Amino acid sequence: MSQTAPRVEFITERARLAAGREQTVDVLLRITAPELETVAGHRPRLNLSVVLDRSGSMDGVKMERAREAARYCIDQLLPQDRLSVVIFDDEIEVLIPSQPVENKTVLKESLRRIRARNSTALHEAWVRGGMQVSEHLSQEGINRVLLITDGLANVGITNTDEIVSQAGGLFKRGVSTSTIGIGGDFNEDLLMPMAEAGGGNAWHVQEPEDMQRIFAVELEGLIAQVAHTITLGLVPADGVRLVDVLNDFELGETGRYKLPNLQAGSPLEVVVQLKIPAQPSRTKLRLLDLRLGYTPQDAKAAEVVKQAFEVEFDEESAIEHLPLRAEVGKAVQLLMNARARREAMAHMDRGDFASARGVVAASMSASAPLFARMRHDQDVSDEETSLSELSELLEDPSRGKDSRKRLAYDSYLRRLSRKLR
Amino acid sequence: MRSMKEWLDGVRHRKYVGVAELAEQAAKILSVGGYVQERGTVTELPDERTVRYYLSEGLISPAEDKQGTASVFGYRHLLQLLVVKKLQSERLPIRTIRELVGSRGERQLERLLLSGEGERKTGSGEKNEALRYLETLLRKPASAPPASSPAPPASPARSQRSTGSLPASISSELSAPDAQHSLPQAERDSWRRVEIEPGLELHIRASYRVPRETKGLRRLVQSILERIALHGGRPGKGES
Repeated sequence: MSQTAPRVEFITERARLAAGREQTVDVLLRITAPELETVAGHRPRLNLSVVLDRSGSMDGVKMERAREAARYCIDQLLPQDRLSVVIFDDEIEVLIPSQPVENKTVLKESLRRIRARNSTALHEAWVRGGMQVSEHLSQEGINRVLLITDGLANVGITNTDEIVSQAGGLFKRGVSTSTIGIGGDFNEDLLMPMAEAGGGNAWHVQEPEDMQRIFAVELEGLIAQVAHTITLGLVPADGVRLVDVLNDFELGETGRYKLPNLQAGSPLEVVVQLKIPAQPSRTKLRLLDLRLGYTPQDAKAAEVVKQAFEVEFDEESAIEHLPLRAEVGKAVQLLMNARARREAMAHMDRGDFASARGVVAASMSASAPLFARMRHDQDVSDEETSLSELSELLEDPSRGKDSRKRLAYDSYLRRLSRKLR
Repeated sequence: MRSMKEWLDGVRHRKYVGVAELAEQAAKILSVGGYVQERGTVTELPDERTVRYYLSEGLISPAEDKQGTASVFGYRHLLQLLVVKKLQSERLPIRTIRELVGSRGERQLERLLLSGEGERKTGSGEKNEALRYLETLLRKPASAPPASSPAPPASPARSQRSTGSLPASISSELSAPDAQHSLPQAERDSWRRVEIEPGLELHIRASYRVPRETKGLRRLVQSILERIALHGGRPGKGES
């Protein structure tokens, strides 16, 4: 096993389970990537293409902020990194062909030429960005297209499923795609699945002012990335049933779940529910076999971690005295709320705002004990803010687009156990 | 080292009497210029026999003149031979090469030959899977045109490109104008492509107006020079 092997922990609310009764148990799988060496300049080489929408609707503040963010990006990159910039409306222009980030002043200067214009050839622009990256594909580095748009694909290939599956196809060949949707008019049902299939991140920038911060998060994530193409296989023991995986990961062809890329410093939290038949007291049972596949950033071939989850059964009275591990309840509630957000979206799509509000309100009250218990926790307080802002947004049907995007992105980030903001 | 462009400038008006002379010239450019291919199955440098084979396969056009019994070849034949070798080194099948080379004029052949020059590609011309994949996506016609606009006119260039896989340098060059043709008429402004001098073209929109004041003009020239530099153009030799 290489030094980059992730660590897997199995956590139940109490360290032992109650004997003598059938039960359904939440198990938190925490997958932690090894810390990176933090020697200055020691990080994977980045090979980026920023693909930027300059269609008419980007005019004004949005374009100015996008330009600033691109300039920021140039500042953060090292001479060993490569950058290209593709701008698109109904036509596509390679503004900066892929090159080492050596002369930052000249690169930044050329961004001044971007002016907002016509309609949106999103697909071909993404392909062009991908080609800029692919021509200089770096085996050990990170090859990524960063697509920035505020609109809908309306020129060229516009079929969502087709573009999403192509993003998946490109990821298989070593180039990932992240997307940044700006404002309220882009298609989150394209940009989120595109990033998920594309092995990158999906971001929603509500206010143009947030642009630079999102760029920073994306770049930090790239630099911290230690492994990609993560797959999770779960085989329950005889008699044990895998009831649910709360993250709703996509299932791959081999029956394994597709997980997001592993980043140093951000453990991935997965919650599975197991239904376990009654066991005698003082016995130990192997409940689950786990197989984690991953490809380290600096390697070509996939590696595997195999681990079994064993747990001890004890009398109910003894269990009650064991310390409560609050992180399990927290993870479960956050993932349930993520599902609730998608349910609210479905109501909205049917024009039923009242039911959407009802679902969010129900999440609020279900989460109340968690909010009370763990208010000091950043994720928990972010969740409280997110839900209360959502219920406010949903009061105003004229802001339906904003509500839907908020629901979609917060749910997506939670599922992948990423920070909300 | 002389660039391909410099080589070509030096032989633009030369004639070659007999297949051997043509082969020799091409071999010289390829070997001295460092364009030799590494693959074992294709002769590294063209010789008399390969040129005859290319002639019989239609990869090189027949000679137009004779001098005694010997065929006389010119600049276009040389370009054809060089392009064929270049495309072979990029592992294109003969069938595709024939389509690419066959009907093209000198200008287009030069462009094929010079495209990608000065770029540092991964694996010296060997394309990676990602690039090949993206090229197939680009060649794929749009599945459904936007509902609001009329169907685009059929483009002959698109169907011609449906066979074989093109190297990135070439396909991007061919498909860039093509992509505009696929747009509905209403969404397109009229564009003109004008050659300023060999190796430099301008793409001008009909509605474009050249700035009047000196300041604007200076800014324009400055911007053009910056862009050329950005795309890998280097200052030439000569008085400044």
